[in-house]
Order: sequence, then C-alpha cells, then structure tokens
Amino acid sequence: MTKNEKKSLNQCLAEWKLFIYNPTTGEFLGRTAKSWGLILLFYLVFYGFLAALFSFTMWVMLQTLNDEVPKYRDQIPSPGLMVFPKPVTALEYTFSVSDPTSYAGYIADLKKFLKPYTLEEQKNLTTCPDGALFEQKGPVYVACQFPLLLLQACSGMSDPDFGYSKGKPCILVKMNRIIGLKPEGVPRIDCVLKNEDQTNITTYPHNGMIDLKYFPYYGKKLHVGYLQPLVAVQVTLAPSSAEKEVTVECKIDGSPNLKSQDDRDKFLGRVMFKITAHA
Amino acid sequence: MRQKRSEIYSVELSGTKDIVRTDQGDDKEKYRGLKNNCLERKKKNQEEDFQKELQLDDHKLNNRELEKKYGTNIIMGLSSTRAAELLARDGPNSLTPPKQTPEIVKFLKQMVGGFSILLWVGAFLCWIAYGIQYSSDKSASLNNVYLGSVLVLVVILTGVFAYYQEAKSTNIMSSFNKMIPQQALVIRDSEKKTIPAEQLVVGDIVEVKGGDQIPADIRVLSSQGCRVDNSSLTGESEPQPRSSEFTHENPLETKNICFYSTTCLEGTVTGMVINTGDRTIIGHIASLASGVGNEKTPIAIEIEHFVHIVAGVAVSIGILFFIIAVSMKYRVLDSLIFLIGIIVANVPEGLLGTVTVTLSLTAKRMAKKNCLVKNLEAVETLGSTSIICSDKTGTLTQNRMTVAHLWFDNQIFVADTSEDHSNQVFDQSSSTWASLSKIITLCNRAEFKPGQENVPIMKKAVIGDASETALLKFSEVILGDVMEIRKRNRKVVEIPFNSTNKFQLSIHETDDPHDKRFLMVMKGAPERILEKCSTIMINGEEHPLDKSTAKTFHTAYMELGGLGERVLGFCHLYLPADEFPETYSFDIDAMNFPTSNLCFVGLLSMIDPPRSTVPDAVTKCRSAGIKVIMVTGDHPITAKAIAKSVGIISANSETVEDIAHRLNIPVEQVNQRDAKAAIVTGMELKDMSLEQLDEILANYQEIVFARTSPQQKLIIVEGCQRQDAVVAVTGDGVNDSPALKKADIGIAMGIAGSDAAKNAADMVLLDDNFASIVTGVEEGRLIFDNLKKTIAYTLTKNIAELCPFLIYIIAGLPLPIGTITILFIDLGTDIIPSIALAYEKAESDIMNRKPRHKKKDRLVNKPLAVYSYLHIGLMQALGAFLVYFTVYAQEGFLPHTLINLRVEWENDNVNDLEDHYGQEWTRYQREYLEWTGYTAFFVGILVQQIADLIIRKTRRNSIFQQGLFRNKVIWVGIASQIIIGLILSYGLGSVTALNFTMLRAQYWFVAVPHAILIWVYDEVRKLFIRLYPGSWWDKNMYY
Repeated sequence: MTKNEKKSLNQCLAEWKLFIYNPTTGEFLGRTAKSWGLILLFYLVFYGFLAALFSFTMWVMLQTLNDEVPKYRDQIPSPGLMVFPKPVTALEYTFSVSDPTSYAGYIADLKKFLKPYTLEEQKNLTTCPDGALFEQKGPVYVACQFPLLLLQACSGMSDPDFGYSKGKPCILVKMNRIIGLKPEGVPRIDCVLKNEDQTNITTYPHNGMIDLKYFPYYGKKLHVGYLQPLVAVQVTLAPSSAEKEVTVECKIDGSPNLKSQDDRDKFLGRVMFKITAHA
Repeated sequence: MRQKRSEIYSVELSGTKDIVRTDQGDDKEKYRGLKNNCLERKKKNQEEDFQKELQLDDHKLNNRELEKKYGTNIIMGLSSTRAAELLARDGPNSLTPPKQTPEIVKFLKQMVGGFSILLWVGAFLCWIAYGIQYSSDKSASLNNVYLGSVLVLVVILTGVFAYYQEAKSTNIMSSFNKMIPQQALVIRDSEKKTIPAEQLVVGDIVEVKGGDQIPADIRVLSSQGCRVDNSSLTGESEPQPRSSEFTHENPLETKNICFYSTTCLEGTVTGMVINTGDRTIIGHIASLASGVGNEKTPIAIEIEHFVHIVAGVAVSIGILFFIIAVSMKYRVLDSLIFLIGIIVANVPEGLLGTVTVTLSLTAKRMAKKNCLVKNLEAVETLGSTSIICSDKTGTLTQNRMTVAHLWFDNQIFVADTSEDHSNQVFDQSSSTWASLSKIITLCNRAEFKPGQENVPIMKKAVIGDASETALLKFSEVILGDVMEIRKRNRKVVEIPFNSTNKFQLSIHETDDPHDKRFLMVMKGAPERILEKCSTIMINGEEHPLDKSTAKTFHTAYMELGGLGERVLGFCHLYLPADEFPETYSFDIDAMNFPTSNLCFVGLLSMIDPPRSTVPDAVTKCRSAGIKVIMVTGDHPITAKAIAKSVGIISANSETVEDIAHRLNIPVEQVNQRDAKAAIVTGMELKDMSLEQLDEILANYQEIVFARTSPQQKLIIVEGCQRQDAVVAVTGDGVNDSPALKKADIGIAMGIAGSDAAKNAADMVLLDDNFASIVTGVEEGRLIFDNLKKTIAYTLTKNIAELCPFLIYIIAGLPLPIGTITILFIDLGTDIIPSIALAYEKAESDIMNRKPRHKKKDRLVNKPLAVYSYLHIGLMQALGAFLVYFTVYAQEGFLPHTLINLRVEWENDNVNDLEDHYGQEWTRYQREYLEWTGYTAFFVGILVQQIADLIIRKTRRNSIFQQGLFRNKVIWVGIASQIIIGLILSYGLGSVTALNFTMLRAQYWFVAVPHAILIWVYDEVRKLFIRLYPGSWWDKNMYY
C-alpha cells in the first residue's frame, strides 16, 4: 500500500483538474450542476431560516430593554474622570508658550467642548437650588444650568487662550456621566502636583467643588440638555525660561461613594496628566 | 497431494520421512528468504559471514571434523581462556534486542505532532507581536507574552500527557520481557560447569536435559531419547526426535541439530555449540522481523487526515483574514494577533489528548477481556481489520494432542475434545473398550508430575511426549487413577518406542489375583500393529482377522487419517501361563516372547483439537465481513482438517482438489471458479508470481496456507495488504514474528507466545484465545464510531469560537471571546464530555456490517466536517452571539452601537466612551464589560455544547431510541461542564488574568432556546436519514 501512495506530480495535477471539472459526469468541484443547485438551495433556505431566527431572538431580547435607562448599571458603579482638551497620545500636553500654533489645537478643543456651556445654549435650562441633589419625578426632566463663570480664569471668557499663552494652562476635569448616580457628602476635585515644585495649582470653582444639584443624571433621552459639572485646573508654571514638566493628579474627594482608589482602573475617580511647557 | 495423504498420516510417532518428502521444495525457500533479506540489509563485508552460516554444513561433519573446525575437544571441552577469547570475538550469546526509539525522540515527536506545530507557530507569533510592540513602546502590555507562554504550556502538557499514555501502555509489555537468566551446563577445562547461557561460545560442549531450553544452535553429539519442540520455529506441534545421525541435507530438517530457543522436551542431549546469539537461526528470523518496517496504523492515518483538514481550515481562514485585515487597513501587528486568535480558535487543542484517553480506556476494557494492547492505536486497527491471517497451532487449536476418535467393534466413536474433556459420551459398555482402555493405560510411559493433586486433570503437567500425554489424560479422565491401575498391573518389562520398531510394548501382571497369565500390550503405527495380529476383538470376543475385517480396519484408518489425525493401533496378548510362568524372566534383547499372532483391539486417533470457542468466533468474523485465512507451518492435511472443523473452510465449500475428487477428473479440468476454498502449500506459493497470489487472495473466500516459511508468511501478509485490506496476523512462534510486525496489527499469544512474537506484536491475547479477537474487533469498531462522535462534538464549537474573531475583524465589535477563554473551553469544559462519548453503546449491531474500507470510510469525512462546521457550529455561534449581545445591550451598549466601535473601545486614552444611554465608560470599565462578554459567550457555547453532546450520542438513531440515560458518563460530562463553568465564572471571576467575571444567573438561559433548536434540528436530520436511506439527504447529512 505504501508504494502506490506517492503519486507523481502529473497525476496529482490531472486529479485536480478532474476534480475541478469532470467532463464525463459534468461534475464541477465534485458535484453536478443539479447537485450544486440543490445544495445551494438548501443552504439558502437553511441560512435564511437561521437569519430569521436570529433576528427574531434579537428582537425579543431588545424588547426586554428600556429605551431610557439601561437594564443594569452594575458595571459602572462609580464614575471615571477625564480631562479636556483631549490629548492626542496618552495624557500629555506639550506646548510652547511663545508659539501659539503649538497650543492652538488645545484651545480649539476646549472651545468646542465648552460650546454647550455658552450662555445661549444654557438659556433654556433651569436654575437649580445649590447644594442638594436635584431629584425629579418626570415625566419631563429639566437640566440645571452650569454658569461658565464658575470656571473663572478658565472659562475662556476673560482669556480666550485659556492661559496657555501665559504659561498658566487650563485643563478641564470632567466626571463621567452615570445614570442615577447620587454622590454622597460634598464631592470635590482635588488636584495635586506629583513633583513638588514652585509651580502652584488653582482649581475653579473654588476648591474644585462639584455641586450636588447636577445629580442624579436621568439619561440622554430623558435628560435633554444635561450639562455635567466641570472643574478647571490651572497650573501656573514658574516663569523661568527653562523647560518645565509637571505631573498633576486629580482625584474625587469628599464623597464616600465615589471611589478614587482602584488598583486596576487608573481613571476611576482620578486622572493623571503631564504638562510639558517650553519657553 | 492426494496420493500422499494416506502415507503422511501413517507416520508413527517419530516419523519424519514423510514430512521430508512433502517438504523438500520449500526448504530452499526458507533459506532463500532468510538469505535475501539479510543480504539486502547487511553490508558487503559481512556477506561472506552470512553465506557461511547459511550454508550450514556442520550436520554433515563427523565428530573429528567438528572438533577440528571449532578447535575444541568433545571430552574436555574448550579451555576457559579459549572460551574467553571467543566470547570477546563473537560477543555474548544473546539476541540483540530490537532497536528502540530513544525516549527523547518519542517525547519530541509528541511535541511537534498533530496540532502542536500550529500552536508553536501561534506562540511564536505572539512573542514576535510582543517584540514588535516592545520595540515601539517599552510599556507594551505583556498579554501576548502570556498568551504565547500559555500556548507553549498547552503544547507541552498535551505532549507530556500523550507521551505518558504511550509509555504506560509500553510498560505493560516490558513485564513480559523479564526472563529468568538462562543457565547452561557446559564442559570446560574437562569439568562440568553451570554458566549463564549468555557466555556460551562456539565450540562449547553443552549438556541439555528434558525441560531445558536449548541455549544455542547445537550439533548433537550424543542423545538419549531426546525430543525437541520446534513449534516456535517451524510451527509443527509434534515433538521432533534428536540424535547424532545426519539424516537430511537441510539443516532445519536434519536430526542432529538443535536450535536456539527451542525446548528439549525429554531425554538428554550432549552437543557442540555451532552458532551463538544473532548468528543462530532464531537470530536470523528475529533480524528479519526487525527489518520489517512498522506500518502506520489506520487510526494514525485517520487522525493525520483529520489534523490536515483542521489545520488546512485554520491556516486558510487565518491567512484569508490576515489578508482581509491588512487590506482593511489594520496594522500588520494587529492582523498578526488576529491570525493567532484564528489559529487558537480553530485548533481543537484538547482533542488529541481526548483521543488518547479514549483509546486507552478502550485498551483497558480490552485488557479485561484478555486483549492486551501494546500500541494504543492498535485498539482501533482491530476494528477495521478485514483479513485475519491466523496461525493454527495454539491460536485456533489447543496446542496439545488430544484423543479425538476411537475405533473398536467396527465402529468409530467420537471423543470429547473440548478443553476440559468432561463429556465423554461414547459407548463404554463394550468389553472391547475394557481391553482397549487397559492397553491405553498400561502401554504408556507418561506420568503426571508429582504434587498436582488439586490441579484439574487437563491442566496437570506430564512427563512424556505429546501423544502419550494425550493418552494418559484421556484414560485418567475416563478411568480414574491411572497410576493406581498401573500399580495393580505391575510392569514386568517394556520395550520403549523406537523408530525402527515403530511400536511400544510392555508386559504386565494382571490385577486379577487368580489369573496368573501375563498380559502383553502393544501400541504403534496401525499397519505395523495389524501385521502382528491374527485375531481381532469384536464385542469382547476374539475373531480371526480375515480380509473383510482387514478392510474395515483400513477404511476406518483412512477415514481417521483423512481427518488429519494421528492414528495409533492397539493390540494385546495374554501369554499362556504354562509357557510363561510367574517366574519367567523376559529378555527384551533376546525377545523371548511372542510378538506376532496378537489380538487387535482398536484404533485411537489424536489431533491437536480446535479450541471450542473458535468455530463460533470464526462465524462471527464472517458475519462481520472479516476474512479468516489460516497460515500455518503444519501439513496441508492437518491444516485442512482443522480449517474445516473451525469453519475457516465452511462445511459446504470445496477446494479444487475436492471437486476433482468428487467428479473423478484431473485437477486441471476443474473450473477454478467453482471452488470457494483453496489450500495453498508453501511449495506452490514459491512458484507463484505476486499476481497469482493476488488472484488467489481476491478470488477465494476461504484460504488455507500450509507448510509456509516465515518469509512466505510475510509475502502473504503483503499480498493481503495489496488488496487494501487491513490485516491482522496472529501467531506465537518466532517464525511468525516477521509477519506479526508487517501486519497492520500483530496479535501474539500471551501464554504460548515466544518473546520474539510478543515483541513484534501490537497486541497480546492473554488467554491465547482466538475468540478474544472478536471482542477486540467489536471494541475497535465501537471506538471508531465513538471517535467520530467525539470529533464531531469537538469540531462544532470551533466555529462558535472562530466566528467572534471574524466578526471582530469585519464589523469591529468589541472582541466577543478571548483566546484564553477559548482555551478554557477546549481544555476545560469540553474534555470530560468528549471522553464520555467513548462510553456510548453501539447504535446497531456493529458486528453485522462490513469492515470499513480504509480509503473510503474516513474518520472525518466531508459530511461530518460540513455538518459540524456549517450547521450545528453556526447555530451555536448565533446562540452565543445572542448571549453576548444581550449582555452588552442590557449594560447600555445596544447592538448597533457596537458596530465599528473596536478602535475607540480599545483605545486606552478614551476613558469617557459614551454608551447608548449617554453614560460614560472608562477603559477599564469597558474591559471588564468585555470580559463579561467573554464569559457570556463562553456560557453560550457551554450551554449549547450540552445540546451538542446529547445529539452526538447517535448518528442515525433517535436519542430516544438510544436512551437518554443509558450512558451515565455523558451526564457526568454534562455535570462537569456546568461545574467547571460555574467555578470559572463565580469562583475565579475575581482573577483578572483569566478574564472571567461573575455572570448574572439569567444569562445562562439565554442560549437555551438555541440549544433546544440544535437538538430538534438534529432529530429531524436523523429522522430523514432513517426515513429516506440513500437519498440526497442521507448522502449529505449522514457522517
């Protein structure tokens, strides 16, 4: 049996040719036209059925969902922090005080981000009482105003360059939206410098406070026009001509149910970024 | 052959002349075979040596010439110094063990065999990917390194496991190899010494006594009543006498040479060692065996075929999607990682291990039924066997002479030849029987060895030759204590059997105290006995022996001889008391007593009878479509008789010779096609071309090969293999070992088998019983069917594992299932269920169908692959996706939002990814959700694999016909699946590296409708297969 097993190349080719098209039986790839027709028809019907079935089960599954609120929110019990402008790679801001083009991108990004916070955009929003959760029963949910003025020097109103031209760049810190989240205590964003230096750091609103009236959030569909509270961090770099590099870490503080210490999630209730300023 | 028949079986106990006559032709063949084979393999400088040895002429030399040739002295032996010199020159007197594959090579083979090579590629790709990542970003995640290491670990673990299994089954065998070191009594420096047989050298003078093994090839110098058992060498079950006379040109036939490893049954012999170790005849045959390459087992071929299919699918899908990914502007690095995922998803990592376990489970089961499997894969080989070439002696027969027929009072009586002899029903009332039984008892020198009071008679060890043993046991069973009878009839004098007289005679006192006559009893070759008789006893009375009674005698004698039986005649004479008084002194040399005009009493014929279970087993083989061919070294007539009695030649089929005889025409005129059976002797075989042999093998259903040499057995096996048959060979002797090795599965006898045979075999029958083979065949067929089910089960989920990667690449969904999770399915939840399928009972009577055609009935065929991949596999993938989408949707990511989300989803810098409801997710939160998705997909597959497991219980019958609960192990498998799943999800959910999370309980049930659908769909498939056999559906859907 072993001897016959090794076929010559020619034989192999001939066999393949015969497999691809066999003129005597009219077989193409081992099947006749009729057989191909049957098998294709079968798969058409079979897969059609499967597709319909899958669509149906998916439809049934979607029926279990609520359009306003996700069924479960257990995977995001606590919000993450995110900064603006969104840096291109990693969380590093590099710019040169003397070169406006180096930070033009950041400013554009900040402006774009703050667009919903302009007075025009906010004029339809409600002024809510400070210092307490703003719970609503519906069916119409209103959004609270977030006066841009709270961000003071970082509001972009007084300084359209957000401090970048003066070596005092503004970074906005934002807490992720989570439906139904009710922070306890007095939440604030606390930012510290990692490497002790002569630079100092200012947060707006004062002390990085986050007012409870912006909570809870009721979801994109119900809570139209919702503005999440922002905290601006202004880092004042020493006016020396040398290159400056500072690392800032911001954390949620003052609220026991908002976590900011997680070994694996580096963005859960905290954010760390680096600013490198050239002269 | 016909004319010789009567002569052959008129041979007396010692007759070799006739054997010689029938045998002359093939002696040369035996040698030619040996020589050719040896020469082919050996180098030229050794050629001379070989020829010298093969043209062995020591049997022709006289003692003086021998002394001169070997530089020894017959009286004083060799000097120790000379012996030491020779030992240094020739090496020890032992067979070189067959070359073993080094353990490390076996181990490494396991490491690169099968899918391992794909996984190695995967692992290296992982490391390369990490290398590229690392070179661009020093903080690259180590995930790929871990994955690569896990893959390597998987390869090594499965390799070690397979190696361990293999080694375990090999170890069973090594226990056989333990032999007590043999001792030899040798004359050296004029002193008799006992030395280990290994130290024997050419020229040594050795003494061997009954019961010992011959320590080397020896030339007999002197012997006393020595007989040797050459059955392991030639297959003849009759003991061969040995003396110093040169009787035959052929060294194998001459009486003055004893061969290494044969046994001296009785008497003593002194001889000169003429060949030692590998240069002995046995050594040549052993080297012939080791020269035969090992064929790949059918299951190995099937698994290779299967591996090729799966690897082909894996590699082609992998490369296809690599190209697609690259052309979709994915980075090459990412594409490479996809490729790894696809390979891992496609390769059923656990399957080969499962197959090994399944095979070893069957091997264990078979061992319980006395089939010991040496090579695991041989388990299945037996199932696909289509031809069994069986040796006669010891396998089909009991390997002991037994009284089969008696003839007295002009009648033939049948004796019970079953293993325990218990049922002797012939008429024992005649007084002729009384006389006959007395002769049988008294004219017999065989005795039971002492100290066996509690051993059943048939199992007792006896000192004496085969015929006398047979007679002793026969009379012991019927008459009771033979020794006591002999004591009562004291033996006065005796003439033992010798080849010139061809009779044995003894004179006894009678046990009747009033009868003072002596009783002379005699047995021997029937015609010689008849010559000495003038009367014949019929119904206890003496009648004169006339022509008509002589004729009935001859008819009976021919009839018994025609049955292939060895016939003995018995007669007696009461010596008249007046002529031979009590004090008469008999002199055997002077023969002072009459040895003619005796009274003929009866005939008794003996045969090595078939084992009682064999005919049934042969019938079963027949109905299972297996052709049983007898290949024996014994004479054609005995072979035919046994073949007929066990059904290898069925009752109503005839050979060409039979037809010629019946029609009374010459053999040449018989139409070959009329004969169903054929008996081919080694002599005829020698003159045949391979085509003629093929023709015989193809055209005759019932074939017996007789007087075959080891080389010819090999030719026959090869001939069968040319017919595309899977050939099993059974055998016990050294002469069988080349054929055992050549066969697809060699089966050696555990009790009677020689070590050489056991070494060459793949399987050992512990009870030497041919019937055990049938059990083996059944198990082998079952395992083939069940392996199909196991593979179908395992392949199914590969599609469900593969689709996620394809969708991930094409549609950019977050990855539905991770590589590690896939490994947990392949090597975790799926292992026990796939083993459980090995316990599945057969769906129909597997012993009533033809053996599978090894080129057409593949283990993994197109319908199996297509049905597993494109039907059930796809349904399973859909079910698992449903669970996946459900989890994402209920957490906030609706299906449509997932499409093309991949880049943002996996971007570490995006920590506020918005879901459908406006919530924002950090990277880690998404990753955790992704793991939940993995777990969900895993659970989806798991739940549907339960359905898959249940449907795989049968291929044709409904599950309800098969019984849902008959195979309990399946339920153990299902339980294990669920438990492992629960442990992974809830127990290890906190271990991040494993990527499992705690899944909500209800997600376990999302895929249940799909599981039910799978079950229903498969029931429908089976229903149509049963309803419309042979239809388009059957052809495309039955695997």
